[in-house]
Amino acid sequence: MDRQQIEQRVVKVVCYVLNVDPDLVEPESNFVFDLGAESTQSVALVAAFEQEFGIEMEQEAALAVDTVGAATEFIEKACREQGV
Amino acid sequence: MPRLTKYSTDEGPGEYPRDRIFRPKSIAVMGVTPTPGTVPHDIFHNILSSGYTGVLYPVAPGKQSISTVRAYRYLTDIEDDLDLAVIVFPAAVCERALRMCGEKGVKGVIMISAGFREVGPEGAKREQRIRDICKDYDISLVGPNCLGVINTDPEIRLNASFARKMPAEGRIAFLSQSGALCTAVLDYARAKNIGFSKFVSFGNKAGVTEIGLLDYLHKDDKTDVILLYLEELRDGRGLIEEAKKITRGPNAKPILAIKSGRTPQGADAASSHTGSLAGEDAICEAVFREAGIVRVGSIEELFNTALLLANQPMPGGDHVAIITNAGGPGVMATDAAVSIGLEMARFAPATTERLRAALPAAANVNNPVDVIGDARTDRYEAALETVLADPDVHQAIVILTPQSMTDIDAIARGIVRVHAGSDKPLACSFMGASDVQSGIDILQAAHIPHYILPEWACAAMAGVQRTCRWRETPLVPFQPLPVDESAARTVIDAEPSGYLREDQALAVLAAYGLPTLPHRLCHDAPEAVAFADELGYPVVLRLVSRQIGHKSELKGVALDLPDADAVAAAYEAMMANIGKVMPGAEICGVLVRPMIPAGHEVILGAKRNPAFGPTLMFGIGGVFVEVFRDVTFALAPIDAGTASRMVCGIRSIDLLRGARGMEAADLAGIELCLRRVGQLVADIERIAELDVNPLIAGPPERGCAVADVRIRLE
Repeated sequence: MDRQQIEQRVVKVVCYVLNVDPDLVEPESNFVFDLGAESTQSVALVAAFEQEFGIEMEQEAALAVDTVGAATEFIEKACREQGV
Repeated sequence: MPRLTKYSTDEGPGEYPRDRIFRPKSIAVMGVTPTPGTVPHDIFHNILSSGYTGVLYPVAPGKQSISTVRAYRYLTDIEDDLDLAVIVFPAAVCERALRMCGEKGVKGVIMISAGFREVGPEGAKREQRIRDICKDYDISLVGPNCLGVINTDPEIRLNASFARKMPAEGRIAFLSQSGALCTAVLDYARAKNIGFSKFVSFGNKAGVTEIGLLDYLHKDDKTDVILLYLEELRDGRGLIEEAKKITRGPNAKPILAIKSGRTPQGADAASSHTGSLAGEDAICEAVFREAGIVRVGSIEELFNTALLLANQPMPGGDHVAIITNAGGPGVMATDAAVSIGLEMARFAPATTERLRAALPAAANVNNPVDVIGDARTDRYEAALETVLADPDVHQAIVILTPQSMTDIDAIARGIVRVHAGSDKPLACSFMGASDVQSGIDILQAAHIPHYILPEWACAAMAGVQRTCRWRETPLVPFQPLPVDESAARTVIDAEPSGYLREDQALAVLAAYGLPTLPHRLCHDAPEAVAFADELGYPVVLRLVSRQIGHKSELKGVALDLPDADAVAAAYEAMMANIGKVMPGAEICGVLVRPMIPAGHEVILGAKRNPAFGPTLMFGIGGVFVEVFRDVTFALAPIDAGTASRMVCGIRSIDLLRGARGMEAADLAGIELCLRRVGQLVADIERIAELDVNPLIAGPPERGCAVADVRIRLE
């Protein structure tokens, strides 16, 4: 799975969980400031990423990720480390 | 000359820049979410539902609308001008949100978000960046880490907070550093029918501080009384200067304050007497009084006093009359009034005659007036009208206990009717709960403060009295005394941080006109004897070493030496002893000076406080100063009036005045010394601590003399 594929799937998950238009989502979009994520939705996002990619994410580190681009990087690394 | 710290007003340009916060014509709430029960949602909802008279915009990325109001993704998407933004985003994005406010030209911001200096060093850095942004864009900021702001003015009706309900309109403003306390206070006030003009939780005060808010409320024509809850003082001197402007003068408003953190910290570790006694709480207590701020110990006392101040005229003095239909509560109220500093009014003969004519034979026509348990409204009205007309009565308390024949509502109405014709303050205590409630409602509707217990009424009147006394105290501008500042600086500038030698400290005091005696630092016994011969006997020897603080404990002081042999012997003994008990000590020599005749031992102390700058202490001195703890404080420098209040304010002042045949001390001389020490520590910032202990105060014809001094430099 290349970086672009991961990013597309990240955007899909973000739009679904946060209920936002895909046109609003950019790599530099901040989940809270640009996409309106509430604190409970951050936890839901981590769970949805784990399910989407079949990976496990360390909760505290994952919750510290604040932009779509950073989430893509984080997931790409997790996929690589976990052989997905 | 004194270098007073001039506080920053943290105020932007314009006559009333805080109107951006309290009277905005348009508001954006940044970070609104659609989920009820969350802070971002509830703040938006509170502004919407409180009847805000301006225009409200939700900034909620990804949302079409919030509570049917069109939402915006970014603040900059709003086309109209904005006066105020309320930021409820998480701390991590607050800087971005604040910068966007600056770019949009928003000049007022309330930052509710937590996660700043209260969470540690990283948060403190984030808060500093918030300050910098405010400075760059000239933004007045309330918060962060706060509950928000409420303005009950019907022209505005703003509840930009996450308090559960909007309070009633009133004449009391409440400022609090604690947000959590605010919600409890609002609930408490609602139950007591207490209204507010403004209600502000200012949190970490990264922008607007209590000083700026006090300035605003002083000018606010909707506010009569200001209540302040403080946890931390950063600019105590600025607060005091501001409070002095507010609590006196033509537009004077009382300030009542709770300053939490009464536990002294670090006192045990302090090396000087002043250091161990001058904890921040002790200083707060004193300097609040000097600024006319009435410090109270509890929320109950705060509101009890505020109710009286906000609803009743100021009394002409501290004499109180009590009217009761029950002996026990009357006696308890009398005890409370007297013990708290009020005086029971002494009725004129005409008053007691009128009372005797109006009341039954069994009634007590002296103060407290007992109208007897079966009293109806006619007796209460006659008694109240009569005592309020007495010239010695400055205020009155009416107590009622509900007996079977007590017509509670009629009595309440009668009290209201009679009091309407008087310009003296009145408080009532209808004791009980359910039976008396309708009467209490009648009193409160007429703005007559009611207290469940008469003791509370007394405490409230005592608080008001403190405000009155302050207003009557003449204020004299500080006038510097002629001193030789450069001589003192010459000594101090040449020394590193730490303690000055005693001879150096004496030279500094002498430069400021304090009564030091002739002295010399001698380096062997013959030199000491020669100087003692020059002075005449008896003399004193004092070991001088920077490493020895309390000399007498190490036999480093020899008193009342009558001749040369005694001086030589004392010198050798002193050196031999110190060689044994502190073999490594660096001895600078032995100071020789005349013996001071016996007198009153007092302490003059000074300490530089982080919040208040140089502070001054006076008290009973000597080795037991920490045992007696009979001290008073003020901010340095001081004027003559403050010096007099400090000296006369100690509990043992009668000793200094010459109680039980003792010789009276030279009080004027002590006051002058105190002023000189105050001027010294205000002038020379490197003085961190100073103890003149003791200053021996003889009778006026002999005056005062410095017996010992320690000065620590920063």
